[in-house]
Amino acid sequence: MSKLTTCWRYVLVLSIVFTFSGCQSTDTKLTRLSGWSSNPVEEKLVAGVLADFHREKPAVNFKYEPIPGNYTEKIQLMLGTHTAPDVFYLRGETAPSYMRFNVLEPLNQYAADTTFRIDDFYPALLKSFQKGDTLYGVPKDFNPYVLFYNKAMFGEAGLTHPPQNWKELEAFSRRMTKDTNGDGKPDQYGLVLEPTIEMIMAFVYQNGGDFQKEDGTLGILDKNFLDALEYYVRLYRTGAATIPSDLSAKWNGECFGTKKCAMVISSGWLIPELRTNYNDVDWGVAELPVGRQKATIVFTNAYAMPKESIHKKDGWQIIDYLTSQDGLKSVVKQGLALPPRRSVAQNLGLYNDPVKRVFLQSAEFARTFQTTLPERWYEEASVALQMIYFDNKTPREAMEALNRQIESGILQ
Amino acid sequence: MPQPSTRQRDMITIAWLFLGFPLLLIGLFVFFPIGYSLFISFFDWNLVTNQRTFIGLANYTRLFSDSLFWKSTGNTILYTIGVVPIQTFLALFLAFVMNQKIRGRSFFRAAFYIPAITSSVVTSTLFIALFSKQGLINQLFGLENDWLTNPNTAMLTIMANNIWTTSGYFMVSFLAGLQSIPNSLYEAARIDGASTWQQFWKITVPMVRPVTYFVLVLGLIGCFQVFDQIFIMSAGGPVNSTTTLSYYVYVNGFKYFKLGYAAAAAIVLAVLIFSANQVQNRYFKPEVD
Repeated sequence: MSKLTTCWRYVLVLSIVFTFSGCQSTDTKLTRLSGWSSNPVEEKLVAGVLADFHREKPAVNFKYEPIPGNYTEKIQLMLGTHTAPDVFYLRGETAPSYMRFNVLEPLNQYAADTTFRIDDFYPALLKSFQKGDTLYGVPKDFNPYVLFYNKAMFGEAGLTHPPQNWKELEAFSRRMTKDTNGDGKPDQYGLVLEPTIEMIMAFVYQNGGDFQKEDGTLGILDKNFLDALEYYVRLYRTGAATIPSDLSAKWNGECFGTKKCAMVISSGWLIPELRTNYNDVDWGVAELPVGRQKATIVFTNAYAMPKESIHKKDGWQIIDYLTSQDGLKSVVKQGLALPPRRSVAQNLGLYNDPVKRVFLQSAEFARTFQTTLPERWYEEASVALQMIYFDNKTPREAMEALNRQIESGILQ
Repeated sequence: MPQPSTRQRDMITIAWLFLGFPLLLIGLFVFFPIGYSLFISFFDWNLVTNQRTFIGLANYTRLFSDSLFWKSTGNTILYTIGVVPIQTFLALFLAFVMNQKIRGRSFFRAAFYIPAITSSVVTSTLFIALFSKQGLINQLFGLENDWLTNPNTAMLTIMANNIWTTSGYFMVSFLAGLQSIPNSLYEAARIDGASTWQQFWKITVPMVRPVTYFVLVLGLIGCFQVFDQIFIMSAGGPVNSTTTLSYYVYVNGFKYFKLGYAAAAAIVLAVLIFSANQVQNRYFKPEVD
């Protein structure tokens, strides 16, 4: 019997050990860096730059721990369980929440170092990670919306330049929308637009409107906002443009790559697709057509440190290197990322590159699209747009509904 | 109370040995999270920070004043009412057919079962393609509907997906039930001149009632918790027409940083499932001899 009891205890202890061994043990001696990794190439690239850093600053003991999926959820859980990495990638879209929750380390005093030259960064990018004057993230790369156009289709239609303004955008798009097989439905569209608030905001900013005004009140019922939205929706409703789902595509880049349309508004993420999957498309890029003023939307990511980190000094050394001339150069040279520093773009001659120049110039008048509303605003905005596109509401009706929903306070 | 013998004690110890490990795991990964959810549903907590304010029932009262919560509850119930009867009947029907001596029976059995063992991500992606605007369904029937972006048909498409995948799964349960029905019953019915259809209704259906009950219970629980198909196929849209309770819980917890609120919604979902099962238990449970 005693034999059995011993055995039983043994099993119990083992099972407890087994059960808890799944819990993450974090090495507190190392400075940990985490980011998403969309592919092995990107992971290798980052590891390479970090190896350079290690040669330069061997005293900093760090570990690179890429997170393969559900990045935002994972970081959120890690912050909540006090196991967050000491340096992590922060998406511009989620930055307002993290800044509001006060979980990030303010970086002003680190960045004040004169050798760091914070003024070298494109201001629009810094703004994504600022709350008031406090900086919570150092931009690592960026992607502004630009206009991709199919040169062959433009040539065929006798058009010599990409559209410069809203009027031309509509006219050109109509001209290149055509039914080639005579079944009464267009087989080629001039333009494919996404029914998303980000893309619409580029037009809203161009028209002098805003989703949320400086004083925090909503601007979605203002004339400037509604006019831009109505223009955008009219392009779809009058058949001058279409949306990806009408062409059974997941996104507008797919429509562009499969030559179903002559123009799309997209950004850097489309380029590798065009080079690998759709390399028979003869494409060019141009700045977005201009409304009342130049404007576009920029997407950017940053390096940030949690307030709780015990390796802030080393953490900053990593950020400092990764966003330095050397660190950025090796990433930019090998990949497709655009450097957040003007000087790096200049030194690498990117302003002479016909494609990259357009992106860099767009950064000068780009804006990030963020609000200070509770996170649910984004889904509510998407619902409002779905009302327009899939439920036949007018832009005004949808925005009135959205306005009511946000003002009701239920989002809090 | 008589003292258990040494042998009995050993038996008890062995029983504990077998039970101990699963109990520990279940306790840690099932009962503890359930209890903890209930606990945090009384707090305002974003998970990211340490600040956890006790707010009593405020999460629940807020929940009941959120129209989207009611909409997702309605969607969940609609989904369940749509899916459970059809999938149960289809599973039984398929099992009945697959129990006949027909050619290529094992091929059909495998074919109907494959969707059940295929990842829901795969079947969902397949359905997105089938039901897209230029997809096969529209081409077959000469329609122009974009099933998943049309608020009136998005839920139907997701229901169809689930019916297709789970009826094959439950078919296996019914097959097992059918094979335990003595053949003599069918023979007797045939001698009395019953048609195949009559045999199905008068013998098969009543005889597999215990299996039907099992399938209904599992089907109901599964439907109330539907998540992955929604997540992949529609993300709750368009215009919230496919937002179900578990999707609502997910977005609140992980997108809106309202973990306490999401926990409250999860508790409501649990209560809903529990009550539905109670109703089933009371009115549909087969009598066991």
